[in-house]
Amino acid sequence: MLPKFVSVIARAKDEALSWLSSLENPKIIAGGTDLMVKMRAGKHYSHVIDVAGVPELLGVTEKDGKLFIGPATTHARLSSEGSIVRNARSLALACGLVGSPQIRNMGTIGGNLANASPAADSIPPLLVHDAVVTLESRDASRKVPLEEAIVAPYVTSIDGKELIGSIEISPLRGYREGYRRVAKRATWAISRLGVAFAIREENGMFLDAKLAIGSCTPMPFRPRKVEDLLKGAPKNEATISDAIRMTLEEIKLISGIRPSYAYKLPVLKGILEEVLRG
Amino acid sequence: MFIGQDITRVDALDKVLGTAAFAHDLKKNNMLFACVVRSSRPHAVIKRIDVSAARALEGVVTILSHEDIPGENLFGAIKKDQPFLAAGRVRYKGEAILVVVATTEEAARRAADLVSIEYEDLGNISDPFISIQSPVLIHDGGNLLSHRKVVKGDVAKGFESSDVIVENAYSTTWIDHAYMETEAGLAYLDDRGRVVVASSTQNIHYKMKEISRLLAIPPEEVRVVQATTGGGFGGKLDVTVEGYLALAVWHTKRPVFMRYTREESLLAQTKRHPLYIVYKTGARKDGSLTAVEVNIVGDTGPYNSYGETVCLRAAVHATGPYEVPNVLVNSRMFYTNNPVSGAMRGFGVPQLALAHESQLDEIAGLIGMDPLDIRMKNALKRGSLTATSQALNHSAGLLETLKAVEPFWRERRKEGPGSGFGLGCMYYGIGNTGISNPSSCYLTLTPEGRVEMHSGVCDIGQGSDTVLLQILCDALGMEEMGIDLVRGDTDTSYDAGSTSASRQTYISGMAVCNAAQKLKKYLKEHGHYDGKPLKEIYRDAGDKGVPIFEGHFDPPTTAPDPETSQGAPYATYAFATHMTQVDVDEVTGVCKVIKVHAAHDVGRAINVSSVRGQIYGGVAMGIGLALMEEFIPGKSGSFDNYYLPTSMDMPEVEAMIVEDREPTGPFGAKGVGEPALIPQAAAIVNAIKDATGVRMRQLPCDIERLKLALEKDKENKG
Repeated sequence: MLPKFVSVIARAKDEALSWLSSLENPKIIAGGTDLMVKMRAGKHYSHVIDVAGVPELLGVTEKDGKLFIGPATTHARLSSEGSIVRNARSLALACGLVGSPQIRNMGTIGGNLANASPAADSIPPLLVHDAVVTLESRDASRKVPLEEAIVAPYVTSIDGKELIGSIEISPLRGYREGYRRVAKRATWAISRLGVAFAIREENGMFLDAKLAIGSCTPMPFRPRKVEDLLKGAPKNEATISDAIRMTLEEIKLISGIRPSYAYKLPVLKGILEEVLRG
Repeated sequence: MFIGQDITRVDALDKVLGTAAFAHDLKKNNMLFACVVRSSRPHAVIKRIDVSAARALEGVVTILSHEDIPGENLFGAIKKDQPFLAAGRVRYKGEAILVVVATTEEAARRAADLVSIEYEDLGNISDPFISIQSPVLIHDGGNLLSHRKVVKGDVAKGFESSDVIVENAYSTTWIDHAYMETEAGLAYLDDRGRVVVASSTQNIHYKMKEISRLLAIPPEEVRVVQATTGGGFGGKLDVTVEGYLALAVWHTKRPVFMRYTREESLLAQTKRHPLYIVYKTGARKDGSLTAVEVNIVGDTGPYNSYGETVCLRAAVHATGPYEVPNVLVNSRMFYTNNPVSGAMRGFGVPQLALAHESQLDEIAGLIGMDPLDIRMKNALKRGSLTATSQALNHSAGLLETLKAVEPFWRERRKEGPGSGFGLGCMYYGIGNTGISNPSSCYLTLTPEGRVEMHSGVCDIGQGSDTVLLQILCDALGMEEMGIDLVRGDTDTSYDAGSTSASRQTYISGMAVCNAAQKLKKYLKEHGHYDGKPLKEIYRDAGDKGVPIFEGHFDPPTTAPDPETSQGAPYATYAFATHMTQVDVDEVTGVCKVIKVHAAHDVGRAINVSSVRGQIYGGVAMGIGLALMEEFIPGKSGSFDNYYLPTSMDMPEVEAMIVEDREPTGPFGAKGVGEPALIPQAAAIVNAIKDATGVRMRQLPCDIERLKLALEKDKENKG
């Protein structure tokens, strides 16, 4: 049963921000695919502010060589949005794999980010694209790299009076980019493992490699040391096996040994082999 | 001719338009809502129940406990051992303790949350192997519910004369029925003060009797109506909401509605029995089977439900559809404090199919024989003796189903690494095992000149209403379907038995034929076949009226010998062969089912689309059983973490219908409901072996188990 709450529909970002600052115990809702489940399970908010139709929070715009994604843009739209498909292929792929068609039609990228699940599909690709989120409140605005915005599983540094104004990502051109994920069934499943990657290579050398791994550690993460190792390294089996060994070591350093790793680490090894070999 | 045609389902239009009243849709003015308070402990004595806060909540009308039950507080289809409401002790997590009745559903659920119960935990018997030796007894009679044996020939001699012997252990787990409609119903008192219960159910007459015992009133004072039912698969054979509704209406005298949430259905309702199977097979170099020895240990949870049924049916089907001269099966079912396991599509036979089909492939591998050839060599056919030494004198089309898939099998080509093919065969006895399980119906004429069929058969979505009408039309030689169907109501129908054991087409179909013969004779005598319209026959019957014409059928069976189970437990058997193609991603452990050829000997397909529908659904369920479905007590709370296959997991299915007509069946028909599922998981597991070299003996073979097995295999080879 859903607890009782008051719902308001914002028509503009300012309106949402002003309600957010004035209403008691407020919560932003866009698609509601996470929030409604939590509220049904007992989480209570007095006021729910619907931003799904706020024009400033919708769609993708390009400016100064960056892409600005409105947080209320649905997964379905992002999976087929031309500028995303061209400039952030891993994100388009990941958004196309979230949940089910119904969830992709309702759920939004801002919501996915604010929910901060370790298994969120959109987060590894956003990390690969060095996403920066703009957090706005009625009186202030600040920019935070996504890596810093998520502080623990399901916990972000977003203040209760703030909303995500936009998500800024860097386009990657000339990269071999993708998203691989593993789940218990073909669709409508939470990822057991997700790997976003963008790799540039030339004449048998890795010029640049960006990797982000989800559903493995408390927060999706980029193995920076591995990326450093790969940068400028010859593309051969020795480099690849070093990179994989370092990745697995880094994971163990972050999380220790977990029972699920008996499955996840061999799978990750296999996926990274495929990804790095290309 | 209606039989063999694709007649549109009689229920199709209502369902497509959304006008069909499912149990969840039922309502009455002034109705109350009921909700069950359930145990949070697997095994405990209830020390104290405090309902004061719940009772004080606005809208709460009454809170009922076992002390409010006027009759007997025990139910069970096979043995009355399960309380409607726990009396001082709970034996599984989710067991019903109280019924809260309130003016709104919200108030009922909120009040249920406010009930506080103090427990004193008893030892939790979480596994049948603990149960075997535990000093803690779940019931006074001990923890062994049932032990059935099949003894044929001499297995020791059989193994002596074998060239190869293969012995392995297999295991399966709890599976939820996951019907689209959770358990629900509405109860009220009629004008005469009788208790009426309308619910989502597979058996109305059985439930009428249980309610009569619960309330200590004669069965005539109870009426049970089947609402349009959104799936059953065995899970709605046991009493679900009906007992609580009847009790609530008895005390409040007002209409009462209740429905389970999905979480409640998952927690509290029956599951497929986990079986632990040790299987030893002997064969000669030419592939002929010499002996089979099987030990089965099952987990029925704390109550019988259909535990005894599964224990026996698994035993008599343990060899699979093959001629085996020497057989020894020991099948034992134990009580535990796990969820109640009950009837679920196949009654233990899908679990055994995993074992016998894997074993056969291993034998074939050892002697270098093709998996199809070894099946053809050993296949039961007309004249064969089964494991219970029953001579198959009638329909036995296993070879024809093997021949139907043969061209596809012989021409199979692997599509790359990870690609593989597997076969699975099965046979399945139609109807209950070695006991009387009759069906009855009656026919009459209406003033409008239509035939009226009164049927107690519960159509749970599989299409029995349409099939029975088709049978009746052909039995009467009707050119148009001029029949009114009066159905699913204990007031207006005879007991047709449960919709289970794939029995309704065969058994109730024969009851319809039997009644039709009598009506046809009457119509002939009254000139209908010389052109006299039914309306005139009705009119001319005058005050005397048109009689009713009763039909009965009880399949001829013999009771299994108590020591050896030898005998003829079923009147007829269905047969099938599935061929499954998979694609295994060895990096991730993901197994995708690509294509299934499913050949079924159904005797006669009364409604071709319905038969195909059953086969498609069976394949889907088989994929779940093989690859992902696993109810973990205490962990599987909702569909969030209980994984069922989706349409995206479905392969292309080629349904092939084989018709080896059964002379004792209606127009040659047998049954297909459970058979459609039975061989699929086995075929998948055999295909995985073909694809990867790894033999999976524990279900579900989900991505993690498969990947770990692949890794282990690599290590062993490495």
